[in-house]
Amino acid sequence: MMGAARDREALWPSVTAFVLTLALSLVLYSAPSSVRGLPDLTPSWPLIVLFIWSVRRPWFVSPPVILIAGLLQDLISGGVMGVWALAYVTAFAIARPRSEEGAADIGPLIVRFAVLSVIVFCFAWGAGSAAIGALAGAAPLITEAIMTILVFPVLGWLFARRKGRSAMFNSGRGG
Amino acid sequence: MAQRRSGRWQADDGVRFAPALTVACIVIAIVLAFLDRPDARVQPLADLRAAFNDFAAPVLELAARPLRGAANTGPWWRSQLELAEENRQLRLQVSELRAWRDVALSLQERNARYREALNLQAPAGAERITAWAVADRSNAFVRSQLVGAGAESGVRPGYPAVNVYGLIGRTVDVGRTSSRVLLLTDLNSRVAVMADRSNARALLLGDNTSYPRLDFLSRDPDLVEGDRIVTTGDDNVLPRGLPVGQAFLDRDGRWRVALYSDAAPLDLVWIWPFEPVADPDVDPVPLPVPVDVQAGALAEDGETGP
Repeated sequence: MMGAARDREALWPSVTAFVLTLALSLVLYSAPSSVRGLPDLTPSWPLIVLFIWSVRRPWFVSPPVILIAGLLQDLISGGVMGVWALAYVTAFAIARPRSEEGAADIGPLIVRFAVLSVIVFCFAWGAGSAAIGALAGAAPLITEAIMTILVFPVLGWLFARRKGRSAMFNSGRGG
Repeated sequence: MAQRRSGRWQADDGVRFAPALTVACIVIAIVLAFLDRPDARVQPLADLRAAFNDFAAPVLELAARPLRGAANTGPWWRSQLELAEENRQLRLQVSELRAWRDVALSLQERNARYREALNLQAPAGAERITAWAVADRSNAFVRSQLVGAGAESGVRPGYPAVNVYGLIGRTVDVGRTSSRVLLLTDLNSRVAVMADRSNARALLLGDNTSYPRLDFLSRDPDLVEGDRIVTTGDDNVLPRGLPVGQAFLDRDGRWRVALYSDAAPLDLVWIWPFEPVADPDVDPVPLPVPVDVQAGALAEDGETGP
């Protein structure tokens, strides 16, 4: 009984952190950031956040939550509603991380994220092209995918480091 | 061992969600994408967008401020370094522009006299609406800009949006406090334009690239590279004479336009209230009856009357 109450207490800060990081990622994604004369180099922050949370708390990132995050990204980016939502739900169904196992190793984490990103952007291109009734330009999506995969290791490394520390702390406490 | 719990369970290899849940989400996404196609968007989704923009615009405006400041740093320090040269060029331009101002004033006066003589009904100039761009919404599928002025400021769908250099697009989704401007580069943008020099007409089609293309030109169009392209007003969507850009031939030999508005980042935009000319069928006026017909009708009345 006390354990359940403690679990609930531990849950709410994580839920709050999840919602806040997702909201922040959406705001950052849509804020004007391109420099004149250069291509827009904004990575897909929502994808990074969803992936990290799907490793950290896999049950938070359920299909309806992914759908809502995708729809919000569609709304905030002014695109056709359902495009990013479809890409995220499908890609996470195919290649989502299912557990926290291996989360402390940055190498496999990056590979898993890169595979997921490629699937997401391929589906987004297909769905987006179908929605606008013409082949969408691949270059902006490829740029965004590359930027997303390049930026991820920094955040992934911080996350893996934190994960390693907490694992060490838990094993020390358990021993 | 698997532990089932409302649509998800803890399998041996980690958390799993019910396949039906995933399939339902995929179906919802597909249905929404179908209903929200740019060429056939259903009204409730358009209203939802406008309401969401109103909600998100203040947050995005806050987020844009530091980035806008940082983005403006580059031009600022560059201008500090090149101040003397810039000053010299500006003086030169001012002296040239003084002469042009005199020409413009005399032409304005002559134009007003011609209008008076011809009894020309020109649309009344309305106050422009100033708005900050709060979110850049350009990606592979859409080229648009969210601006922080909506119906409360007098913005209506279809109003042209310009920056300091030229036309950037027109408003499409208008909320209470925000609007979405469909940029000229968007796939769904169609604007009737002409070359200022020759009046050669064309349609400016966005194709999600930085340089929209000129289409529906005549067989041998009177266009040369560098021609100034302006709106014609023929489409009754935008007013006549808004500067758009310069014509050039791309590598494939197609005419495209380098937009004037690209000369500056889309920070501050002006929205020009523009009411298209109403279709005569909307408010028809009864045709005046010719005098001889009137007389005939009166005579008939007299014969058949008491």
